[in-house]
Amino acid sequence: MSTEATTPKPKKRDRIGVILYLLYVAMLIAALVLIVRLAGIQLFWRPDPKIADALTPSNTINIIEPARGNILDSEGRLLAISCPIYQFYMDCTVLKDTNSPEQEQAWLGKARDLAEGLAAEFGDRTAEQYYKLITDGRANGRKYVRIGHPVDRNVYNRVIALPLFRDGRYRSGMIVEQEHIRQYPYGKLARRTIGFVRNNKSDVANTHIGLEGKFDYVLHGQEGREWMRVTDYGRVRNSDSAYVKAVDGKDLRITLNIDYQDIADKALREQIAEEPDLEGACLVLMEVSTGAIRAMVNLVREDGNGPFEEIQNLAIGRKGEPGSVFKTVTLMSVLNDGFIKSLEETLPATNGNVAGTSIKDAHIPDFARQHHTNRISILDGFKISSNYVFATLAVKNYGIDKSKGRGKGLEKTERFLQNIYNYKLGEAFAFDLDGLQTPTIPSPSTRYWTDTDLGSIGFGYSTEETPLHILTFYNAIANKGRMMKPYLVEDIEENGIVTERRGPGVLNAAVCSKAVADTITRALKAVTEEGTARRLKDAKCAVAGKTGTSFGTYANGQYQDAMGRRKYQGTFVGFFPADKPQYSIICTVYSKPTSRQFQGGGIPARAIRTVVDQLYNIDPCFREELKRSTVTK
Amino acid sequence: MKTWKLSDIGLFFKNSIQAILKGEFLLRLNIGRYFVHIAYTFLLFGLVIWFSLMIETTMSKVEKNKAVLKELEIVHSQKVFELVGVSRRGSVEDMLEQLGSNVKEADKPATVVKR
Repeated sequence: MSTEATTPKPKKRDRIGVILYLLYVAMLIAALVLIVRLAGIQLFWRPDPKIADALTPSNTINIIEPARGNILDSEGRLLAISCPIYQFYMDCTVLKDTNSPEQEQAWLGKARDLAEGLAAEFGDRTAEQYYKLITDGRANGRKYVRIGHPVDRNVYNRVIALPLFRDGRYRSGMIVEQEHIRQYPYGKLARRTIGFVRNNKSDVANTHIGLEGKFDYVLHGQEGREWMRVTDYGRVRNSDSAYVKAVDGKDLRITLNIDYQDIADKALREQIAEEPDLEGACLVLMEVSTGAIRAMVNLVREDGNGPFEEIQNLAIGRKGEPGSVFKTVTLMSVLNDGFIKSLEETLPATNGNVAGTSIKDAHIPDFARQHHTNRISILDGFKISSNYVFATLAVKNYGIDKSKGRGKGLEKTERFLQNIYNYKLGEAFAFDLDGLQTPTIPSPSTRYWTDTDLGSIGFGYSTEETPLHILTFYNAIANKGRMMKPYLVEDIEENGIVTERRGPGVLNAAVCSKAVADTITRALKAVTEEGTARRLKDAKCAVAGKTGTSFGTYANGQYQDAMGRRKYQGTFVGFFPADKPQYSIICTVYSKPTSRQFQGGGIPARAIRTVVDQLYNIDPCFREELKRSTVTK
Repeated sequence: MKTWKLSDIGLFFKNSIQAILKGEFLLRLNIGRYFVHIAYTFLLFGLVIWFSLMIETTMSKVEKNKAVLKELEIVHSQKVFELVGVSRRGSVEDMLEQLGSNVKEADKPATVVKR
């Protein structure tokens, strides 16, 4: 046996196999290096934060703003809507460092054309001034130069089409900032009633005014939230992250009729515009059967001496001694309590002194002389607005029984005051606007009560009421004793569908009987026909109402200053048509200290006359119906 | 039944390393049996990536359309604002006066003709 046969032949190395094997080993080592490197990067390596920020795809949260709800008037017309405004800025340094001298000349040429366009559009600077603004900004390296003032969409479209700006932001340096603001298509009409919500950055504490403020929780809606990420296609919503849809605000349908508001606003402005001694005035129109407020005008001089603007809600926020319009309260009280049965009942008309008080009415001797009588009926007293008659009615029927001793015998007086509270003239009832003042009614059980207070209350002094309280009371008379709660918000709507109906409410189902309401209406008609409000006698429809004038007190408690000047509060309040009332209305004017007179029968009566005449022409309830006879041939 | 010893772990690693060095690791595991499943998994990976790209494209279209809608809403609200503004009673009166129109406020209530 040969050794060759038993010894294995040495294996011949396969060259390709070796190469592949080496490649395999190389890749294996590379893989091992990669695995180690990966583990190192994942576990130990911390990148430079700047580089990490630049390379990491941004995933940012985006707050989705809800669309604020609209405010609609009773006819569905838009009173408040959200629109964008645009503010232009300019980066004057754009392309400055990269432009060749020729390109720079061309840029400046376009800037000159732009300056002309901006001057024509904004009008706040000349073309030369705008050009200087741009070139100075370019020389000084200013990157955020404000151009003009905030503009609406139409002006925005025209401005972005101007030379240079039309080249786009990277060539022109144009910067536009957009902001949604609340716009009021009817301008200043009912601005205080509609109100506004101030920016939270405002340093004014009261940022929520009027209906916009009170119902901000309805109008605002709820913000949504989405995560955005940057892709090759731009910024898109990250579909893997949570998405909260924005809930748009609901609409508010209010009771104001903007046509009536326009008429009332114009009528009041006409009357007060040329009266420098007036500091403010208000006019409120209310629907008798529901208490819906159809117009609410509040005009106050801006900064004391400026033009009249809607900057304070006088109708609910200013209380004062109501004057003779309060005599109707005394009349209702004595009628309800059965102290008088008829308006023809009389009182002595001699010297005008109210028994047991220091109140004296100088008009009574004049009345007695003119009418050759020594008695005055309650109706006549109401017509001429006699303080004596109503102070006497109050003192005689509700006077303190002094025979019972100090602090006792107050029952009758308290009954009178309780009547006033029953007529809702002593409380701030729930209202759709914040700021309704609580009336002031004195109490005989306090040490501030004086002997003249009861008589004073009888003719409208010693108490403080807001115009809305007085109007609500007169509205109840027009509504045959049923006192409706004044309201401004009809319902809350979402895409035209009512989600919450608010509507009318009752404050007191019967402040008086129908007979008492009719009796008072007769007295109120007498005032406009023969009394202190004769200006309304020939109105297009019969008006029943009462005038009232009071004087504001000075710091020393007097009704006039050292120069004999008084602060007037003149009011007319009533309803129309007198026989079948549809609307109640009040107008009050407030004067500065003046030597002139501002009576309720003056400006307020004239303003109301205009409103009544114009409403009569357009209000559906005054339309006549003509029945067409169908004749068959 | 075979009982496992600590030295078996060392043997396992030794065999594995030898197999890796010889390029036989996957063959020894007999991974060929699961080839279809592995291919299917990679297909799913591909589909996921493809769908993600499609979603991204769609989302970018959504964003573009949202911007268009927003623009249209702005134009609409601006138009509504302008139209409502000129419908004010006082504005209409002024415009009629400027135009020299004879149309005036009604001076008596309308008469409704009924059958």
